[in-house]
Amino acid sequence: MASSRFSKVDEYGFERPDDFDYETYEDFMSQYLTVLAKRAKKWAELIGEGKSLKRSLKVKTYVRKGIPGEHRGFVWLTVSGAEALREEWGSDFYQKLLSGPMNQDIVDIVKTDLPRTFPDNIFFSAGASHQQQLYNILVAYAHDNHQVGYCQGLNYIAGLLLLVTKSEDMTFWLLKVLVEHILPNYYTRTMDGVITDIEVLEELVRLKVPEVHQHVSSIGLPWAVVTTKWFICLFAEVLPVETVLRIWDCLFYEGSKIIFRVCLTLIKRNKVSLLQCNDFSSLAECFKEITRDSLVIQCHDFMQSIFKAPGSLSQSTILKLRRRLAQQRKNHTVQ
Amino acid sequence: MTNLGSAMANRSGAQRPNGTQGKICQFKLVLLGESAVGKSSLVLRFVKGQFHEYQESTIGAAFLTQTVCLDDTTVKFEIWDTAGQERYHSLAPMYYRGAQAAIVVYDITNQDTFGRAKTWVKELQRQASPNIVIALAGNKADLANKRMVEYDEARGYAEENGLLFMETSAKTAMNVNDIFLAIAKKLPKNEQVAGAGTSGQGRRLVESEGQQKAPGNCCK
Repeated sequence: MASSRFSKVDEYGFERPDDFDYETYEDFMSQYLTVLAKRAKKWAELIGEGKSLKRSLKVKTYVRKGIPGEHRGFVWLTVSGAEALREEWGSDFYQKLLSGPMNQDIVDIVKTDLPRTFPDNIFFSAGASHQQQLYNILVAYAHDNHQVGYCQGLNYIAGLLLLVTKSEDMTFWLLKVLVEHILPNYYTRTMDGVITDIEVLEELVRLKVPEVHQHVSSIGLPWAVVTTKWFICLFAEVLPVETVLRIWDCLFYEGSKIIFRVCLTLIKRNKVSLLQCNDFSSLAECFKEITRDSLVIQCHDFMQSIFKAPGSLSQSTILKLRRRLAQQRKNHTVQ
Repeated sequence: MTNLGSAMANRSGAQRPNGTQGKICQFKLVLLGESAVGKSSLVLRFVKGQFHEYQESTIGAAFLTQTVCLDDTTVKFEIWDTAGQERYHSLAPMYYRGAQAAIVVYDITNQDTFGRAKTWVKELQRQASPNIVIALAGNKADLANKRMVEYDEARGYAEENGLLFMETSAKTAMNVNDIFLAIAKKLPKNEQVAGAGTSGQGRRLVESEGQQKAPGNCCK
């Protein structure tokens, strides 16, 4: 739509696709701008003029309603514990890693992925500064955490963190806190944590949306086929970018259960469409469609619904399921 | 929306009452190979006729479909494009399980990727369906001046192992449709078609590709 007041490139530097739905987006933005203005004012009162930020019920509520873009990096760093980690390891830790000796295999694999990370983003295009910064972050992290090294998918997470924070150092610490504290072994060489969490999701779907679970099983679509990328990329490159950042706001505060809330909300709110797909192809396609429709573009409503639609979901329920399913898999492998 | 039946039970083609279309067969095809050899680019070229110099790295797997016509048979490929990095290996069986065809891809400018392709072939021969049709694709053939894997070496290996083999270029489109068509011909239900198959026939099929994107094969 040529008359749109929105440019071909969004505020994070991503080129909008040719089939971008400007109409839905304009409808959404006309309301969301009011929300943003209100939230900006609230946050300014909360953290303005040298006030410190501590985890509290009030802050948690604020985070759920969205952190203003200009404060995101700082708030993520504080509420997630990344800042505490940085103080513990020393503020020059990242720079020291960068000046250490480099493993050529890691350098090569990261270099291969650099031009393949957000090629449609103006800040990541050839010659733009973010490619070099992303290289530094990924290589430094791979040398810091030998158990993880470099796992494809981290490029998108670090890339988006960098777009938000505009800081290599902040991105490094946020990446570290995600991989080592918030997510359980997603990116290790066997990717056990992801495999377990996909099984946890399947179990939660069975309990909370049994019709969909039954339908997907009868068609024979493995949940991992659909959801691996949801978990690995934490919805980056899956959902619209503003929605992803709103999810990350809560993820940094509340932890990995937020991922399950998002998955379950997507599945539950699209139950009718999913049940209408009678074959493998259309079901797989439908799982793609539900990550791009107006439901997820309207991030503010969507984020409210993730705390309602799936019903109660405690961290202890997830921990129990993780333990049980990981143990089952282990027994199965031994046999 | 077509309802071609479950992908799990698609080995034999369903007869269509529609006289002009003839038989419709649906096959699951998986792409395997080292990271950055061009798996997604081959699929993008085959399905959409496009090429991006920098194709985003695939996480988990991507799913696409494309239909080709072989005489009176419509072959619908369900294509599973997988992530190449070694650690995603534990997820791969899910994608090749039940696949009737596989394209194992390597990069002709990188000897390591050829070694990795051989490992994939071995794994498929051991663990995939016994009748799986495997094609070996030496991609990036447009970069012949940087070649590290000789054509004859790869062809010899393919012959020894009963694989279809072509060097391809997703960039120039060289042999991309051809390798999918060669697979379509070799797939079991097509025996009568494959018997009559000539290279001339293959070309004609490529030219008619535009018509193959008939309404009804899109799931949207």
